[in-house]
Amino acid sequence: MGVSQNLSFISLVANASVVVQLVLLLLLASSFVSWWYIFLKLFSLKQAVRQSDGFERDFWGGADLNTLYQHASSGRHSTGGMERIFEAGFREFLKLKRQPGMDISAVMEGTRRAMRATYHREMDRLEAHLSFLATVGSVSPYVGLFGTVWGIMNAFRGLSNVVQATLAHVAPGIAEALVATAMGLFAAIPAVVAYNRYTHDVDRIAIRFESFMEECSNILQRQAGS
Amino acid sequence: MHDREEPGKFSAGVLAVIVHVLFFGLLIFGVNWHTKQPEAVEAELWSSLPPVPKPRAVAPQPKRVKQEPKPKPEPEPKQEPVKPKPVKQEPKPEPKPKVAKADIELKQKEQKRREEEKRKEEERKKEQTLKRKQQADALKQLLQQQQTMEAELLRQQQLALQQQLQAQQSAAQARTVSDYKSRIRAKIKRYVILPPDIQGNPQAEFDVTLLPGGDVLDVKLTRSSGNAAYDEAVKRAIYKAVPLPLPPGGELFSAFRELHLQFRPKDDN
Repeated sequence: MGVSQNLSFISLVANASVVVQLVLLLLLASSFVSWWYIFLKLFSLKQAVRQSDGFERDFWGGADLNTLYQHASSGRHSTGGMERIFEAGFREFLKLKRQPGMDISAVMEGTRRAMRATYHREMDRLEAHLSFLATVGSVSPYVGLFGTVWGIMNAFRGLSNVVQATLAHVAPGIAEALVATAMGLFAAIPAVVAYNRYTHDVDRIAIRFESFMEECSNILQRQAGS
Repeated sequence: MHDREEPGKFSAGVLAVIVHVLFFGLLIFGVNWHTKQPEAVEAELWSSLPPVPKPRAVAPQPKRVKQEPKPKPEPEPKQEPVKPKPVKQEPKPEPKPKVAKADIELKQKEQKRREEEKRKEEERKKEQTLKRKQQADALKQLLQQQQTMEAELLRQQQLALQQQLQAQQSAAQARTVSDYKSRIRAKIKRYVILPPDIQGNPQAEFDVTLLPGGDVLDVKLTRSSGNAAYDEAVKRAIYKAVPLPLPPGGELFSAFRELHLQFRPKDDN
């Protein structure tokens, strides 16, 4: 270790020990994937909210339920979660209504079950990858810390062979070790923020779906009674 | 029906790549990773400040003295060539009356003329030799003056250096003396058990006679603090603090043979 140190970021990473490099690689990969999911979820949640808004406008705009169902089941356009819930419920409602000897409460029960199944499927789709963000957010600081501890251990082990120990002997090792912590934090902070934000968004969408299901079953019950 | 792909997979990947490129660009170009080593070297030099003023103090002195000899030699050669001029004028009036008297004997005149010419030539030669001698003397004097000036300069510089060295040594000695005095006081202070009923911050002064090993030979109370218990406590502490810390080598012991120490119950020194 010379007196004049080139502490550029690239040389720091290149001179780091293999373990630290592996840790950095792992953190880089997890950071990349988490950012990918962050943007993916951002788009998909925005789309879900937009489609729900559009379908609710159509639904409460006085449109006929049959035309709405045909529009949803035609598959000509990408359907939102709320539209699919309505489609599943209305299809089950029509099937049960056609069968003779069905009590109205039994028809409504079947319709509600069909809507709930679709609702769960939609929620699963919306919540996909959020657990990965949570994992990255909670684990990657520790992974970075592990890399840092390993790097500092190496730095001090190298220091034991030197007679006159100065800060200049340890500084590069510690700097390269701290890069691991920085990387871990860089991976963790956006993941945690995105996780919190997206769970909140998913919860709001779920509440919208559930309230829609209740309202839709009410309307269907009225139609069945008439 | 549900095999829809999630929207924007590709654009999300591109955005993630952009975020990482931005982050690493910030790390590599935004942070100045190059440590400036020269500053650290400068900091090390400052620790040896005392020798630095040496050249500053000595350097201006020769400049001032060098400027002085330059004007001196100029007037001297001007004054000296003026002196031989009256010598030239004196011989000229003497031959003229001699020439007017010689009418009868041409030979004598010729002889006289020859003799006079010879004399004149001799006088001229003498004058020339005189002039040369005077010029040489003047040059020698100038050289001697310059040499003496240079010697004086050297002496002054050496004297200044010696004085500075002595001053530094004495300053260093004074520093070590005061340092060890404060150490002695600190060590004694450690052993002082303060009596509980001290009012104010009275000062007790002691004359302590030391032996070369740091042993205390004698302790005299020269000025009481007004609190006998505190005086006694300090006196006991001085005996308990044996051996007192002294600078190694024993060369500076003369400064510690008779110590005049002052103690206050509440100062933090």
